[in-house]
Amino acid sequence: MIRLSASRMILILGSLFVAWILIALAALAIGPSSVGLAEVLDLVFRGTGESASRDIVLGVRLPRIVLGSLVGAALATAGAIFQALLRNPLADPYVLGVSGGAALAAIAVLALGGLVGISTSMVPMAAFGGGLLATALLYWVSGGPGRSGPTGLLLTGVVFNAFASAGIVFLASIAGFFDGSRIFLWLIGHLSAVEIDAAGLVAISVGIGLTVACGLARSLNLIALGDETAAQLGVPVDTHRRLLLLSTSLMVGAAVSVSGLIGFVGLIVPHALRLVIGSDHRLLIPAAALTGAGFLVLSDTLARTVLEGRELPVGAVTALIGGPLFIFLLRRAQAEGPLG
Amino acid sequence: MPTMLIRMMRFPAGRRCIGLLFVLSSTVLLATEPSEAQPNGSSAPAPALRLISLNPSLTAIVLRLGGGNSLVGVDDYSARLLPEVGDRPKVGGLFDPSLESVVALRPDRVLIVAGLDQQRNAERLEKLGLQVEIYPNERLDEVLENIERIGRLLGQDRAARERIRAILRMRTAVATAARGHERPRTLAVLTRTPLFIVGGETFLDEMLEAVGARNLGRHLAKGYPRGSIEWLIGVAPDLLLDLTPGDAPAADFWARWPSLPAVQKDRVVDLDARQISLPGPDLDQALRALAIAVHGEGISAAIDAALRAPGTLEIRRVSGVGGGKPVPSRTPSRFENAGSTR
Repeated sequence: MIRLSASRMILILGSLFVAWILIALAALAIGPSSVGLAEVLDLVFRGTGESASRDIVLGVRLPRIVLGSLVGAALATAGAIFQALLRNPLADPYVLGVSGGAALAAIAVLALGGLVGISTSMVPMAAFGGGLLATALLYWVSGGPGRSGPTGLLLTGVVFNAFASAGIVFLASIAGFFDGSRIFLWLIGHLSAVEIDAAGLVAISVGIGLTVACGLARSLNLIALGDETAAQLGVPVDTHRRLLLLSTSLMVGAAVSVSGLIGFVGLIVPHALRLVIGSDHRLLIPAAALTGAGFLVLSDTLARTVLEGRELPVGAVTALIGGPLFIFLLRRAQAEGPLG
Repeated sequence: MPTMLIRMMRFPAGRRCIGLLFVLSSTVLLATEPSEAQPNGSSAPAPALRLISLNPSLTAIVLRLGGGNSLVGVDDYSARLLPEVGDRPKVGGLFDPSLESVVALRPDRVLIVAGLDQQRNAERLEKLGLQVEIYPNERLDEVLENIERIGRLLGQDRAARERIRAILRMRTAVATAARGHERPRTLAVLTRTPLFIVGGETFLDEMLEAVGARNLGRHLAKGYPRGSIEWLIGVAPDLLLDLTPGDAPAADFWARWPSLPAVQKDRVVDLDARQISLPGPDLDQALRALAIAVHGEGISAAIDAALRAPGTLEIRRVSGVGGGKPVPSRTPSRFENAGSTR
């Protein structure tokens, strides 16, 4: 593990922060309409500008940047935590069933809400509730000293996701055409319909998740080496694991509730960062948050601009950019020496 | 394999949803509620055919032309969208029909619409020895041809001709009535989230032009493209026709962007998708409803007057209605003159 000094931490996190700000500014100034940077700055700092430009910048682009940053930060951080917590390199933010619960609840509202008078505007709240219920179930199933090991957690998550999948298949089968297209969009993830009103809940959840994760980063370093090693070095493994599990699930549930299931960010960003900056979670956690935020905003900007006037699902763009980038980093790391 | 597909594998519902989304990009399949017309007395008696329809638009045509007795099975979506289907056997979804159910019903013909998935189903059904008829239904002419072909199949040629004539007469009448009215810059929204709009080279695009609306969606793409809200704000439509089924009132949703001219002018119109967007036998009623949505209820009298006036209905093109730019030229249809009252 590379030694972590304060100057190195400041340099890396500072660079990532500046990169995120630059990406956000570029995203604010780029779009299918002709609203450029000067007009954006006028609008943001002086409140002047044409009405249509105001709608575009403040009503369309800004909410996507804010929510994209929060969701990207949540997913990348959650991925980093789960990969260490479960000691499984394939773990992603959705591995523990939070996504299954959120998806099942959201799709239930999309498919059946009309029959019982529930508006589709309740989808985010339903997804958040579903994610929390899944987390509570996981907490209950894995509860008790010695019972919350990585294998038990993983199996519980896999089984719950399978159950949720079955429910989703059933609901999609009885959904109409247009509900079907919404379900499809929700499953691959998108930011095209986010509203700034949702930012508060997501920001609080991400704040809690990040605070807990940063506070327990040293424990996470030791848990990643093995439960016995961590316990011998004084880490209350079960307590810290469950704290991290709960706070991370809260963060993922909030992210999923506004964006659906955006893939790749939570899997690839932490791995790519490990290849570049090492595995110390005191640095990796905040770095993952900043990188995830910038990566998702960048992907979403491409999703809404690459085909003029048309939208691509951001989940597809994250895979298209992230895949080659990750392979490049992996090849470079292999060339420099054996991985391990 | 891309992560998106991995995710769809994890949530198998997604695979089904890809099929559902395909519907939006190829044709619009929302239901009207056609009455099951009785065969016209002077038509030939219906042959003792056993038909299975795997698409709501084709099912609606069969029922509207009086072929209900021949219809021995339908797809699930026809059953859901068309109450007239009643308790006829269901043979599965548009994209995943149960071949066993289809074969068990011993149909003489299976009717499907053109499309990649449907083509594959057609090949599989033909390998099982069934006769499959494929009906494209993206353009207005294709829908009219479908009515004619199904009429011939059912022995209801005259009923089919009358339906076609009614649609063409209405197309001519709404074009005549709209002459002299402004041609609003219009966007027709199929769903708000995700945002799907009516693009170019579709029967809905042709109907919008016929009623004197300038469809801005044709500049984005052909078919039914997914647009972005930013693009929509940028093109500044004067009129928004919102066909989103079920949701909150359109005006409430679009008020989030007060710079939209359609919002400022209070010209956001909720439309019943079930009346407008099924490429079926009742497009005459859809044309009238669209004309009213574009020009207001006041145009009804002009439409009725145009329908009553013989001799004014025989026009070759509906382009240039109300002035403005003509629509791009297209291949003249063999139905162009069929709107005559002769």
